[in-house]
Amino acid sequence: DLLQWPQISKCRSPEMETFSCFWTAGNFYNLTVPRILQLLYKKSNEEDWKECPDYMTSGQNSCYFNASYTSVWTPYCVQLASKSEVYDKKCFSVDEIVLPDPPVNLNWTLLNTSQTGIHGDIQVRWDPPPTADVRKGWITLEYELQYKEVNETKWKELKPRLSTMVPLYSLKTARDYEIRIRSRQRTSEKFGEFSEILYVSFSQIGIGCDHCTEEVEFPWFLVVVFGVCGLAVTVISIMLSKQPRLKMLIFPPVPVPKIKGIDPDLLKKGKLDEVNSILACHDNYKTQLYIDDLWVEFIELDIEDPDEKNRASDTDRLLSEDHLKSHSSLGAKDDDSGRASCCEPDIPETDFSASDTCDATSDSDQFKKATEKEEDLLCLDRQDNDEALPSLANTDLQRQHRSTQSENSHLWAPFGDSVESPRPSVHTQISNQNSLASSDFYAQVSDITPAGRVVLSPGQKSKLGRAQHEGCTEPSFTMDNTYFCEADVKKCIAVTSHEENEPRVQEQGYNEDGYFTTESLTTTVANFGASTAAAPSSEMPVADYTSIHIVQSPQGLVLNATALPVPDKEFNTSCGYVSTDQLNKIMP
Amino acid sequence: GLLLAALLGSHMLLTKEGVTSMPICPNGSVNCQLSLEELFDRAVKLSHYIHYLSSEMFNEFDERYAQGRGFIAKAVNSCHTASLTTPEDKEQAQQIHHEDLLNLILGVLRSWNDPLIHLASEVQRIKEAPETILWKAVEIEEQNKRLLEGMEKIVGRVHSGEVENEIYTPWDGLPSLQLADEDSRLFAFYNLLHCLRRDSHKIDNYLKVLKCRLIHDNNC
Repeated sequence: DLLQWPQISKCRSPEMETFSCFWTAGNFYNLTVPRILQLLYKKSNEEDWKECPDYMTSGQNSCYFNASYTSVWTPYCVQLASKSEVYDKKCFSVDEIVLPDPPVNLNWTLLNTSQTGIHGDIQVRWDPPPTADVRKGWITLEYELQYKEVNETKWKELKPRLSTMVPLYSLKTARDYEIRIRSRQRTSEKFGEFSEILYVSFSQIGIGCDHCTEEVEFPWFLVVVFGVCGLAVTVISIMLSKQPRLKMLIFPPVPVPKIKGIDPDLLKKGKLDEVNSILACHDNYKTQLYIDDLWVEFIELDIEDPDEKNRASDTDRLLSEDHLKSHSSLGAKDDDSGRASCCEPDIPETDFSASDTCDATSDSDQFKKATEKEEDLLCLDRQDNDEALPSLANTDLQRQHRSTQSENSHLWAPFGDSVESPRPSVHTQISNQNSLASSDFYAQVSDITPAGRVVLSPGQKSKLGRAQHEGCTEPSFTMDNTYFCEADVKKCIAVTSHEENEPRVQEQGYNEDGYFTTESLTTTVANFGASTAAAPSSEMPVADYTSIHIVQSPQGLVLNATALPVPDKEFNTSCGYVSTDQLNKIMP
Repeated sequence: GLLLAALLGSHMLLTKEGVTSMPICPNGSVNCQLSLEELFDRAVKLSHYIHYLSSEMFNEFDERYAQGRGFIAKAVNSCHTASLTTPEDKEQAQQIHHEDLLNLILGVLRSWNDPLIHLASEVQRIKEAPETILWKAVEIEEQNKRLLEGMEKIVGRVHSGEVENEIYTPWDGLPSLQLADEDSRLFAFYNLLHCLRRDSHKIDNYLKVLKCRLIHDNNC
């Protein structure tokens, strides 16, 4: 057994007029003299400890303080002591220890019953504890009622209330109930003891429902069954419904394959030539240029709308240097076909990748890039330094060149005269031409791979710079350069003072948005007697130029895989144009 | 933010306890007067509310700051209103004249005006004081003012003679609320809140006794 000291268990005032303290004696057995416990008390304003006035009234091990000894809001201290030592001490004030007695005289009356007689309402009444002086307002009590069915274990509680009556609704008349009530001082937290239990039995007053059936329990099984059926019906109806949006919301469709930039209708209806031309505009496309192969293996392309406005603005962009600088549209690609996957990392800006989800650039951007690519394809720009132009597969190098703005490779120089803004770039190009006497302005198409790619070889140095358009006085142009530069053409036209040609070229070029079409080219070349027809030959060394096989308006040219023998240096490479005579000399 | 919380909390508490803003003159008549019964009803509701707030605030403070510091053993000290001789049991409360009792009530309320103002301001300086304690302090101070006004109205109605000298006890506990030592400062708060709870209970009781005596003729 654990040693238990004598302890004051509690002090309690039932009505705020008297109070009692209770203690436990502990289990001291080793004292010869039975100890005598005393309860001493002291009010806060007193000095001496006084002994308990009444050890009897509240029972054993208790001390009762009657009204004359009780001061409500005065702090008291009590201590449990024997003659030799103090065992316990408590300090409190009487208003803090109020625990009322239980209510008395509980009774109930029937209010009404339900129509079926299964349920009934009752009103429960009681009286406040007789010790509490509620009538004079000395103490204010609130009550808490609890009830339960006779064979239940858990009591239901009602909210504490001030009134001494409360209705209970919907009690089952077939069952018996138990009710108990307890009270507390209104601002306290602790309740007093419970009252005696009140038994409620409807059968006693004759309204017991003997033949009432048991309350039907909630039909869970039916609920589940009907719920499942309803859900199935809903799902089926959604699947069969004609509302596409609803269907898409719940059963989202599997995305079908789609190539961004390619209009499937065009592929279905377009002529092969058109398709090829579209696809051939870009250097980074890997289709097979077999004429008899209609379908491309790999499309990286964007299709521009034949929108004049876009084109005009794109021309501006093309001609502006910033525009040239910022482009990296020619991606470095290898020869592998089948690049239908999206967004290869090694291609910085594959706008033309064959995936819709890849890129969010607008069509105009794509068009801009497309035009630039065409431009690259069609017109190699002059280079500033001696760096050779690698094959077209390494056009990122070109891009870097271009980024320095003086090393653009253009097949066709932008049509500067037709638009104002590119004029500076044209001049720049011209100046580049002038200044860069030792670099290649043009690249030759050395080969066209079976995949259809144009392989360029570095142009020869000698082909440089007579870009002095002022010096373009002779109609004979070198044919070292494989490409015809629009600027050169223009200047040459101007020099030769074929005014009428210029506008024509201009307008044609303008119509074509900066590119020479076959018609314009032939017009231009024809002015100088250059012919564009060339008989293809099978085996060629690195050719200086490639003849034009097809010119598809407006995207550009399809070049013949021909290589013409290196011309003699006798040709002036003033503007890169081939006169008819020169051409005739070259061609067999 | 504090004021908003205080207003919200007070509204919730008031609606819970049944103390809402009641119109002075229900029918809007010009020279209307609230009946004495109505005045007492409102006063009792206010005093009950104030005691409820004080009780809660003390319990929260006790829980938060007083545990383990042994404050309980020390708190057998006197409040600053102890010099006012108020009835200490039911018999004394029954025997005192209602006018005297009303004056005493007024005296206690006036004596608490000053401490409540300082309590509201100083409690904010307690380190990490909970928001609930803060807004309760503000609310108690406000409601105490309202109760004081109501009591003065009642006294004006009930009093039949000359008005006595005002009963009032000054409070000098402000320095103890501003002590540098945190333990001493918290103990000062503890005592003040303890006294507040006690005095608010006194006021509530006296008003209920008066109401039952004057309005219901000892038959509440």
